[in-house]
Amino acid sequence: MFGSSSSKEADRQIIGLLRQKGLDKRKGEEGLFNEYAYFIRDGMRKHRLSEEESFDAYSDSVLVAIENISNGTFLGNSSLKSYLYKIFHNKCVDYFRKNATNKRSMNRTLSINDELFLFSDKSRSILQTLIEKADWKLLRNRLEQIGDDCRKMLLFWADSYSDKEIAVVMEYKTADVVKTSRLRCLAKLRQLYNTV
Amino acid sequence: MDSLEYIDAYFGGEFPREEAGRFEERIQEDPAFAEEVAHYLGTRTALKELYDEGRKARFRELYRQRPRPAEVRRMNPRGWLPSAAAAALLALIVLSWLLFGRPAEPSRLADRYIRQNLIVLPMKMGGADSMLKGISLYNTGRFAGALQQFENLLRLDPLHPAALLNAGIVSLRMENYDRALDFFIKLENHTDSHVNPALFYEALTLMRRNHAGDSDHAKQLLRRIVQQDLNKKGDAQDLLSKM
Repeated sequence: MFGSSSSKEADRQIIGLLRQKGLDKRKGEEGLFNEYAYFIRDGMRKHRLSEEESFDAYSDSVLVAIENISNGTFLGNSSLKSYLYKIFHNKCVDYFRKNATNKRSMNRTLSINDELFLFSDKSRSILQTLIEKADWKLLRNRLEQIGDDCRKMLLFWADSYSDKEIAVVMEYKTADVVKTSRLRCLAKLRQLYNTV
Repeated sequence: MDSLEYIDAYFGGEFPREEAGRFEERIQEDPAFAEEVAHYLGTRTALKELYDEGRKARFRELYRQRPRPAEVRRMNPRGWLPSAAAAALLALIVLSWLLFGRPAEPSRLADRYIRQNLIVLPMKMGGADSMLKGISLYNTGRFAGALQQFENLLRLDPLHPAALLNAGIVSLRMENYDRALDFFIKLENHTDSHVNPALFYEALTLMRRNHAGDSDHAKQLLRRIVQQDLNKKGDAQDLLSKM
């Protein structure tokens, strides 16, 4: 997709697309993944990971990079390739350590929400305990029951789309309409979650 | 303002500083409120993980479609120079032939078209729920689920044009070519080929399947699209010029 342009130009195109929303962002995500997918072989060769593990490490790295480019954390001080490779290298080391200590067999819990760090230790501890007690697998199953529009809207919200951006992508009239619908969908999901 | 709206406003950054302090006090003093906040944050994280899983499924599909690199064999260091020169010359001849002389293989041509045009199906709001759900599943790489949704629609209306088209496309992506052809031929026979692209996708499926005679049959269909000015004429011309 971006292979024929110079690397700086390819970086510029990918970053530009990732800062858009909807289909353009999707093109940017796929462009970034394809551009450096050869890292997966590096992970297998240099870090002695299986193809599956190296693929996971690379996909996770691409997701981190997408997040940081979209929210402006990536400032462009290095090339996209160096930036992604640094994240990928760290992920590979994590995978290698997990293999060595056999931690992969441990049960996965929900990852820690960044927004918890807005609070004091005491509040964070209360919230973290409550989050760990909830059945998030059940919530994900319930999501299948709330209708396609609600599902899509909540997934965009989870990916940090603003109500205004959701209105554009999902063709709603205003951000206020999205906000009302989104809160209604969240309440519906909660209600379904509480239904035994 | 109810709890959910209040919590959403807090995380949306709509609170003045003094009210933010009050919000944190409530977490510590009111267990029911703390649970609401925890559920709000947990939901967002759980959905984000789900969203990322969808993206990873798309990445997996892209990775699966990439050509596999050949194994590298170590050469004997003695006498490598003449061999390298001969290999380079041969590579140059083969490359020139591949680039300028030889028509592209239909299966690879079809594969390239699919990667460029059929990774994502357009989502039209206001369609039937099964249709939107099917497209959404397709776009996140969950082909079996997508096919089931389109087939649900076809059970209600066996000639539903969009369901036939999408069921054909998803079967094509699942490499179930015979089934894809059934859907496209049915679509072709019951709708106007100036409007629907069934004939083009039928040709594309034959190219991708590439059994004996498929390529010639695909060429005939593509020529018919061009001659009769049917839907996807431009794409048909493009494929014909490369075959």
